[in-house]
Amino acid sequence: MRYSGFTWHDVVVLLQGLGVSVGLFLATTIIGLALGLAWATVRYYRTPVLAPLVAALAELLKNSPVLVQLFLVFFGLPVLLGADLTPVEAALITLSGNTAAFVYVIATSSIESVGHEQLETARVFGLSRWQTLRRVVAPQAAAFGFGPLTGLLINQLQVTSLISVIGVVDLTKVGAILNVRTLEPFLVWSVIGVLYYLMARLIARVCARAETRLRAHSEWKGL
Amino acid sequence: MPFDLTSITPYLGDLAAGARLTALACLLALAGGLAIGIVVALMRTAALPLARRVAEFYVDVFRNVPFIVQLFFLFYGLPEIGPELSPFNTGVLGLALAGGAFTSDVIRSGILALEPGVLEAAQVSGLSRLTIYRRIVLPMALRTSIRPLGAVFVNLILTSSILSAITINELTGVAKIVASDTFQPFEVYALLLLAYFAMTTLVSLAAGALHRRLNRHLQGGPV
Repeated sequence: MRYSGFTWHDVVVLLQGLGVSVGLFLATTIIGLALGLAWATVRYYRTPVLAPLVAALAELLKNSPVLVQLFLVFFGLPVLLGADLTPVEAALITLSGNTAAFVYVIATSSIESVGHEQLETARVFGLSRWQTLRRVVAPQAAAFGFGPLTGLLINQLQVTSLISVIGVVDLTKVGAILNVRTLEPFLVWSVIGVLYYLMARLIARVCARAETRLRAHSEWKGL
Repeated sequence: MPFDLTSITPYLGDLAAGARLTALACLLALAGGLAIGIVVALMRTAALPLARRVAEFYVDVFRNVPFIVQLFFLFYGLPEIGPELSPFNTGVLGLALAGGAFTSDVIRSGILALEPGVLEAAQVSGLSRLTIYRRIVLPMALRTSIRPLGAVFVNLILTSSILSAITINELTGVAKIVASDTFQPFEVYALLLLAYFAMTTLVSLAAGALHRRLNRHLQGGPV
């Protein structure tokens, strides 16, 4: 007996996959943002040893396929450490690291976009380096870096689809399962594609709204 | 466990063959993506609203749906409606379609960066539309787009690792086999990471050099 038709249960499975994709996306975005900003701060303070190390790590993560990073963490790391990693743990580590590398790049270029004279002025006024970062540089850099960050987030959502390859049952994996069972590739992959598309649209919408709020104070309101 | 590369040595020939297949797929996809990108970029900058809308739709879909989903759609769905392509051809087609969307973005901004005066001068001189495109718009737009096109090509190389998911034994596909043969996943994937890093660094250096060479006559030097 074959269950080749679609059932209502498939919708539940689909929603579960969607939940896993969204959950991993949110978790890795938060961790990646925190990590990437920390790396950027290390660079801002020109910490000896650590700053070049972070720059090299970001360069390596940026210039190699996420799939290979995923294999390295999922298959390679357990052998090296002698401990097992679940697919979800491996996905969390890899995607967070990858997001962090791109956040680092965006953050450092945003920090550099703030004029040098402002830093000098802040120093003349007696602000500490931390105060300068928090009160002068960060607000302007945040507004500057938001556009590229939106692009990054949309891209990272799509990158989450790769974790299906190491067996995390995310939206893409659910698609692969339904595809094999129902033999309706056209329908299944169209639905999966549309769901990803809608999620990307949602991210773009939310980010655009946040950006207008962030820039509200600097907008020219007329005399 | 020490980092031991000796047992991987016998497989270096296979890995080189995989690297050649990766390079071949990327070059074919680059050519296809460039052709699609130029046509789509011309459509997106055309005066005809319908052409603009069709092109925007294409770019929107292929940029907002994960590549692995596009690939599965082509791999499983295409044989249902059309010709049955080999996995390699399907992979190249998928890469070219996705690459075309990103390429069109780059070329479009190259076209939009043209001085309107140049186009007006060409029109006043009585050049036909085809001549204007062939002799003025495209050469100038492509020349200024070399460096961003290099970035698109780098991304194409990184994305090509996903082709291993549809049974193509390119570099990542071979590495998977080697990793399970030697039981040394960490060494194999670390080596793979460096191999991709080397390839992409080489490409972006070459693109930078070509960009400087082609734009050497520009006022104020190449940007």
